[in-house]
Amino acid sequence: MEASYQRFPTVRIRDLKDDFLKFELRDTDASIANALRRVIIAEVPTLAIDLVEIEANSSVLNDEFIAHRLGLIPLTSDKAMEMRYSRDCDECDGDGRCDYCSIEFTLSVKCTSEETLDVTSHDLQSSDSQVVPVDSIGHDPDIENFNQKKGILIVKLRKGQELKLRAIARKGIAKDHAKWSPAATVTFQYEPDIHINENLMETLSLEEKREWVDSSPTKVFEINPETQQVEVVDPEAYTYDDEVIKKAEAMGKPGLVEIYGKEDSFIFTVESTGAIKAAQMFLNAIEILRSKLDAVKLNFGSDEADEQFGDLGAHMRGGF
Amino acid sequence: MNAPDRYERFVVPEGTKKVAYERDMKVMNAGAFTIQREDHTVGNVVRMQLHRDPNVLFAGYKLPHPLQYKIIVKVQTTSQSSPIQAYNLALSDLDKELEHLKRAFESEVAQRQTDYY
Repeated sequence: MEASYQRFPTVRIRDLKDDFLKFELRDTDASIANALRRVIIAEVPTLAIDLVEIEANSSVLNDEFIAHRLGLIPLTSDKAMEMRYSRDCDECDGDGRCDYCSIEFTLSVKCTSEETLDVTSHDLQSSDSQVVPVDSIGHDPDIENFNQKKGILIVKLRKGQELKLRAIARKGIAKDHAKWSPAATVTFQYEPDIHINENLMETLSLEEKREWVDSSPTKVFEINPETQQVEVVDPEAYTYDDEVIKKAEAMGKPGLVEIYGKEDSFIFTVESTGAIKAAQMFLNAIEILRSKLDAVKLNFGSDEADEQFGDLGAHMRGGF
Repeated sequence: MNAPDRYERFVVPEGTKKVAYERDMKVMNAGAFTIQREDHTVGNVVRMQLHRDPNVLFAGYKLPHPLQYKIIVKVQTTSQSSPIQAYNLALSDLDKELEHLKRAFESEVAQRQTDYY
């Protein structure tokens, strides 16, 4: 009896680093690709500082300014998926400060020297060694980066100025506030399908071919120096502007090339802020989308179903 | 001043059901599902999956207002099926599809790791 209209998506990873992931997603619908994109950006939970108690602040920035900046610091959030939201936590009577649903940070800095003191994310002391500010060190060890060991700058202090505070980090999603977004950028594009009409292409002189190839704002085509033929060098550079098509029509050769995006083939790029690894972010997104769809199921056979359907209950419950 | 709180976008208040179904009085085998605190992320996915079912004559979704956080999914089917059946079938197919995607992705990542070492 069970029909199924399920699709069977395939994945091919092109590039996989800790904070960057590029892969091809095939045999699925654009709605799924877009839903995953939206979930990665807005609904994958992370940890971020949510409550700041300032004991002393004689810096040039005011209290709420510093609190806002602290909230935006990305924290390593690998345990975010298992943690509870503060509002759902029974342990702490909704106070939102217990060990199960929050992490405590302290910052205590005073400038004592003549030089300006930079207060950075390295000065934040965490109560949990697994949840710390993401290091701003790039992952390429070859790059000599002067700023490597400094961390994210919070505020600068002059001699005699002090900053002392306690901060609580909680689990949240970017739908609530953008500080909880684990993603730097997430994009997907339709994979282009490019067909050059060879017969029509033959009727162009080399000069005309060059002109046509150059009319594209991005380098999609190229003239092979040996064969003098126009070849597709980088189909994914095509941004679906129709410049080459318009140029072909202007030159009197409509139909010179046919370009369309394949409807079920996508190239995804996922970049993370460092809070969660890029691949883990995508997996979390799939889980969250699944649980959303599960929450949206309508349970018939329950009391409310009977209430709504009455006599038709039996008919609705799957009888033909 | 009049803006709703941000958590309203995803927190279902006490006493409200997440999904409600209303039969259409004027048309046979048609009905509308009102889903609270969801947006295009879920709406578009469910709608496109419903389109794949040949028993579904009509499937569409809308957000009645961008500041009211709910979606309405309207479904009409042939007499071979019913809106609720089609809806539940669509959801279970999506669950299977996402499970398949998850396994495919995990095996790709695992393969990548082994290719390195």
